[in-house]
Amino acid sequence: MWGVIKSVLAAFFGVQKEGQRRQDFEQGRPVPFLVAGVLMALVLVGLVALVAVLASR
Amino acid sequence: MAMNPGSKPVLQHSTATAGGMAEAHPAPPSGLLRWLLTTNHKEIGSLYLIFSLVMFFIGGIFAMVVRAELFQPGLQLVQPEFFNQMTTMHGLIMVFAAVMPAFTGLANWMIPLQIGAPDMALPRLNNFSFWLLPVAFTLLLSTLFMPGGGPNFGWTFYAPLSTTYGPPSTTFFILSLHIAGISSILGAINIIATILNMRAPGMRMMDMPLFVWTWLITSFLLIAVMPVLAGVITMMLMDINFGTSFFDAAGGGDPVLFQHLFWFFGHPEVYIMILPAFGIVSAIIPTFARKRLFGYASMVYATAAIAILSFLVWAHHMFVVGLPLVAELFFMYCTMLIAVPTGVKVFNWITTLFRGSISFEPPMLFALAFVVLFTIGGFSGLMLAIAPADFQYHDTYFVVAHFHYVLVPGAVFAIMAGVYYWLPKWTGHYPNERLAQWHFWLSVVGVNLTFFPMHFAGLAGMPRRIPDYALQFADFNLVSSLGAFLFGASQLLFVAVVVLCVRGGRRAPAQAWDYAEDLEWSVPSPAPLHTFDTPPTFERPAH
Amino acid sequence: MRTLLVLLAGGGLLAGSLQTALANGWNMPVGVTELSGEIYSLHMIIFWICVAIGVVVFGVMFYSLFRFRRSKGAKAANFHENTLVEVIWTAIPLLILVGMAVPATATLKKMYDASDADLDVMIIGQQWRWRYDYLGEGVAMTSNLATPRTQIRGDEPIDASANYLLEVDEPLVLPVGQKVRFLFTSDDVIHSWWVPELAIKQDTVPGFINENWVRIDEPGIYRGQCAELCGVDHAFMPIVVRAVEEEEFEAWLASRREAAEEEAMGIDREWQMSELMERGEQVYGSVCVSCHQQEGTGNPPAFPALAGNEQLLSDADWHTSTVINGVSGAAMPAFRNTLNPVEIAAVVTYTRNAWGNDTGDSVQPSEVAERLSD
Repeated sequence: MWGVIKSVLAAFFGVQKEGQRRQDFEQGRPVPFLVAGVLMALVLVGLVALVAVLASR
Repeated sequence: MAMNPGSKPVLQHSTATAGGMAEAHPAPPSGLLRWLLTTNHKEIGSLYLIFSLVMFFIGGIFAMVVRAELFQPGLQLVQPEFFNQMTTMHGLIMVFAAVMPAFTGLANWMIPLQIGAPDMALPRLNNFSFWLLPVAFTLLLSTLFMPGGGPNFGWTFYAPLSTTYGPPSTTFFILSLHIAGISSILGAINIIATILNMRAPGMRMMDMPLFVWTWLITSFLLIAVMPVLAGVITMMLMDINFGTSFFDAAGGGDPVLFQHLFWFFGHPEVYIMILPAFGIVSAIIPTFARKRLFGYASMVYATAAIAILSFLVWAHHMFVVGLPLVAELFFMYCTMLIAVPTGVKVFNWITTLFRGSISFEPPMLFALAFVVLFTIGGFSGLMLAIAPADFQYHDTYFVVAHFHYVLVPGAVFAIMAGVYYWLPKWTGHYPNERLAQWHFWLSVVGVNLTFFPMHFAGLAGMPRRIPDYALQFADFNLVSSLGAFLFGASQLLFVAVVVLCVRGGRRAPAQAWDYAEDLEWSVPSPAPLHTFDTPPTFERPAH
Repeated sequence: MRTLLVLLAGGGLLAGSLQTALANGWNMPVGVTELSGEIYSLHMIIFWICVAIGVVVFGVMFYSLFRFRRSKGAKAANFHENTLVEVIWTAIPLLILVGMAVPATATLKKMYDASDADLDVMIIGQQWRWRYDYLGEGVAMTSNLATPRTQIRGDEPIDASANYLLEVDEPLVLPVGQKVRFLFTSDDVIHSWWVPELAIKQDTVPGFINENWVRIDEPGIYRGQCAELCGVDHAFMPIVVRAVEEEEFEAWLASRREAAEEEAMGIDREWQMSELMERGEQVYGSVCVSCHQQEGTGNPPAFPALAGNEQLLSDADWHTSTVINGVSGAAMPAFRNTLNPVEIAAVVTYTRNAWGNDTGDSVQPSEVAERLSD
């Protein structure tokens, strides 16, 4: 679970170690990554929106 | 091939299997019917490319009319009414009929070759997608000859200028966009089906060339946003013909709703026109730097990040329309964020060049110009993202300069780079190098003369879409117009190079560029009508 | 390494000459309000950030292109990733952007605070003119392009001493030092009211009201243009703001109020044909001419001809009511709120008797006033 989140975070940041990526692609199943990716995209939108709301006060 | 051991895929299939088995395919019908009925990805790719080249010149002529009128202050050649039709048609034709079909043409030709597939997944649909386009754009161009003239409300066709106040031909314009939209959606479905199902055995997603990756992501963008465009133009259709008031404030509608819907389509559309360009450049730079692309995985991630963020930034086109403060901040932050993955791409290309072994064939020249000039367009984009400053930039020539930098020396240069890169594969001949160099240098000078002064004109206060301007903008416009004529004329050289290359020239081997990596270079040049009847076996490079 | 230095020096030289060029009227104006100055500095900060990034990125790029040419025997290295470098070049732009977002947010918040204004001015976009209404002051006016159409068409040379295309008949007069709140709306399509020196650009959206505000520091004349494509004459609806000292503004406002009252009194008296024709020609020239043309020929089908128009000639009643109420679903706006009864009567009389429309009949301001009160 934590490994999936770490890998998705790395993908969001855009940088991942080649070894880790290889391992994810060879051993992981795609569905957890997709779910985590979609959820974290929503979290990102929420975070930016939160910052915008706080900044506008 | 032998000079770069251990750094590229090993292709385990011979040219004999690639070119063979022609007898298994029925003979194509002859004459015009052959082109009308073809289901071959290479022929359809060629049709797309030829169509887009013709449209590039038609849209270009419209641009020349605009630049000629703006050559000096006062109205000399055309009336404002016709001028507005020219700016509108120039935008619509270049976006929907030149740049998008060009990329689709390249996708048709190259995606099956790059993933080792015999054809597109849905060949008949492919034929249909293409033939919708001439219908759509003949209809669109015919509106110019209708009473009241063609669309005159800008390529963004903001309501209510395009609804309550639009010319009678607007309904035809809507139908033509619908048809073009269907074509794009079908094309995108086809590309996704091909990439997901028809890769050579052994080729996984993270082994695909970046052109394939960028087109996969672009296809998802197309499927996501083209229906939104279809929705918004249908609402226009209802407002115009059936008495609804979606965008008419007098009936309780909201003109700003139009802009939200349009830009929810429009901003991803911008990336639809640039992501495949990233893919092409990511193929060309490693080839001529003779060094593997730096950061392949981060390129893929960056493309995906750009695609996701492209859905979150639409309202940066609407900073002065009267959005609430929170919305301005949200869209400003998201827009600034999108600069990060874009920057990563540029850094990756440049690091690929670093400590390479670089040569400057025509495709490389265009790819390098792309990196520099697209980055300049990216810089002005970063400036435009700063919402307070956008109150000064918005709807001025600064914006015109910005999006032409990303679309002309951006998307168009990448298409030309791709054409020069793959012409040997398509025709079996190298393009004439001397002519191609002339084309390159004249284009680079022309494009910068045209668009660089527009930054200054915009900052000095010149709004966009005006047929006549105050005297302080005269010098900028004079230079821009001269540059535009130079750029326009030098594109005739491009046609000359392509025609000459089809008819003859220095023979190209299968591996036309010595370091080129991908599967397309394993089939003979010119590529036979049917390739990869037997799937090749793909093996990852050893590390 | 020496090449890199040369490239950097070249970049510096380029930046220097850019600086000179930008100082000479090629750049965004600093403007005459506190906020326009802030916007200008944001613009320059982000510009120099871009220049700096550009010098580094293009420096490395051209250094590589020059240094690692195959024709000079360069051999390709074999690296294709480096996590540390990638982390650094993702993180640095992120930090720069956060640094940029902070001042931008601060400025934006000030721009959005239109509270406690000393004066409210309603700005209404119309195809293709601006209407200004000093709310609560009883003064309103329409501002039209003053550059002669003959110069635009090229029938006579452009007067280089006048501000070609940036001259209006009625500038918007504003007091300096006071906080003026603008309320924006439109009668037809979306326009955008833009004066660069005031750093205000705001869309006028039909059916909706936007706000923005300004406090001008220096008296002067500030010019701008409509920034949103709004139809045929989008290029021909400039904006001129005349900023004056507060006393002068009050005096101007008073004289305007007086003139408006005077004209209101004229409604009740009988007007001579020649008076109506003279006033009507003025009104036609500022309000009608952009669509219906100098000679009343119009621009069909959107803008019908008035000269020889059968319906117009035969039906004075319909003619007057069309001017008052506009034509729904077409480009013709309603003038009931923008023109006063004298102006409506005069322009109807004028169009019934100009360019061979010799009906000989006239419409009196009192008749129009009666219809307006219905």
